[in-house]
Amino acid sequence: MAATPPQQTESPAFAEQSLYEVQQKVYPRAVTGTFAQWRWSMAWLTQVLYYGLCWLPWNGRQAVLFDLAERKFYIFGLVFWPQDVIFLAVLLIISAYSLFLFTAVGGRLWCGYACPQTVYTEIFLWIERKIEGDRSARMKLDAAVMSRRKFFLRVAKHGAWGLLALWTGFTFVGYFTPIKTLWTSAWSFSLGPWEAFWIFFYGGFTYLFAGHLREQVCKHMCPYARFQGVMFDPDTLTVTYDVTRGEPRGARKKGIDYRAAGLGDCVDCSICVQVCPTGIDIRNGLQYECIGCAACIDGCDQVMEKMGYPKGLIRYSTERAIESHWGWKEIIAHVLRPRVLLYSAILWAIIIAFVWGLATRLPLRVDVIRDRAILAREVEGGLMENVYRLHVMNVSEAAHRYAVSVSGLPGIDMEGDHIVEVPPAVDKVFTIQVRVPPDNGKKGANVIYFDVKSLADERVAVHEKATFLLP
Amino acid sequence: MQKLLSILWPSFLVAGIAEGLFFTLIDPQELYLLGEPVRLSRMATYSLGFLCFWAICAASSLVTWYLLRSAAEVNRRVGAVH
Ligand code: SF4
Ligand code: SF4
Repeated sequence: MAATPPQQTESPAFAEQSLYEVQQKVYPRAVTGTFAQWRWSMAWLTQVLYYGLCWLPWNGRQAVLFDLAERKFYIFGLVFWPQDVIFLAVLLIISAYSLFLFTAVGGRLWCGYACPQTVYTEIFLWIERKIEGDRSARMKLDAAVMSRRKFFLRVAKHGAWGLLALWTGFTFVGYFTPIKTLWTSAWSFSLGPWEAFWIFFYGGFTYLFAGHLREQVCKHMCPYARFQGVMFDPDTLTVTYDVTRGEPRGARKKGIDYRAAGLGDCVDCSICVQVCPTGIDIRNGLQYECIGCAACIDGCDQVMEKMGYPKGLIRYSTERAIESHWGWKEIIAHVLRPRVLLYSAILWAIIIAFVWGLATRLPLRVDVIRDRAILAREVEGGLMENVYRLHVMNVSEAAHRYAVSVSGLPGIDMEGDHIVEVPPAVDKVFTIQVRVPPDNGKKGANVIYFDVKSLADERVAVHEKATFLLP
Repeated sequence: MQKLLSILWPSFLVAGIAEGLFFTLIDPQELYLLGEPVRLSRMATYSLGFLCFWAICAASSLVTWYLLRSAAEVNRRVGAVH
């Protein structure tokens, strides 16, 4: 992009744009502590699930597979068809609602601990640290001229990132096409063009987002980061700097009576800024860039410990608690406020409805389509015939036999299979000729019914409407 | 780069949603292209579908960006006022 001519600063939009173009690279410093442990546990949990679940077998197939080619979603014992889209919709509503609830209670818990962007950035940073060293070493390396050592470190880093990203892309595609076949075809170089495309597409994005863009994604690209503010209220737990305790900040010698010297608890060591993955200073108050990762809490607590001050100069707290110097008891009492109770009640109602719907889902689905190519026709014996295509979808995991019958007009009968067999999780189509004596219905459309009943279980039955045309 | 991203990224998000909605409701094997049933594999249709959605959304973002330029900038390009 061309250099910005000076007159462009007249427009605020441009001023802002160029601001984040020249943004300084953030070099987060490694941090240890309670919250770092939490973050790593979550990273392990989510990634073991992500990389592992697609390899888990179940009933001779992949346990979790969103089979796009077959338009069927398998989740352990459950098989979802396009007709089940309502469950998907409700699941999305539940996720959105939980996000609302968690945000109202604990701020950006999702961002700090579970969001793939945070988790992969953390993993990529860990690789970077193992290869290039911690913050100061990396800053030095970046500033140094290219040398053999720098070249090797760079190759190692990008190589490791690339491999991990590729594996991530492969895993991703493995949730949409059976991963074992994908694996064998990858090794025999016979991947389908689109599979290969999506592996590199997803892998490439992982590499770009976690290796290069990092906090920029949270700051400029994530829609959630932009509207999370509306879910906050003064009783929301967020990572907060205790201004009254910390200020006036300033360097001091260890062990002096700093209060007498007019200083607060903050020693102005800037550790909290150095560990921050988004490069902000939490001491300036809550900012939308803060992803709530609590790295600054860990960092500052270590400093406090070294200085012999009580921990928690930066801590999880609420706006109101900081203002009125509350302890944990009052904070917790305020967490259960009407808004949170209402959110939780609605969330539980939706979850219960969802589980109930799933539990009572009939393992059989029937669709009747009259063959439009063949109009009503006369067959032997003077009977009128309509032809139907009967879709019998066995949504269960075992083969089933069903009895098929028709009703609705006097003398109605059908040609074709009266007993049909459908393998597990298969949609089978049967052609059925329905015959009626010509005078037993009115001219035009007549309502008839198809009944499909499982031979094994009476309750598994579908009563489906169709129209019978008489000339 | 910044401009490119601000066009490509929102359209990517919206295309993802559009793709999901469209193909949950419609089976690619039931689509017709220029009067002929689509004979591509489902995987190919989904993928091409996504890229088309993305392109369409990006076109919309591009127009937004184009119309959002400030008066000063348009004038400068025209060369009339400076
Ligand atoms: S880490 Fe704690 S003591 Fe150090 S600058 Fe930040 S708030 Fe102050
Ligand atoms: S300010 Fe603290 S909690 Fe917020 S992003 Fe930075 S390190 Fe994480």
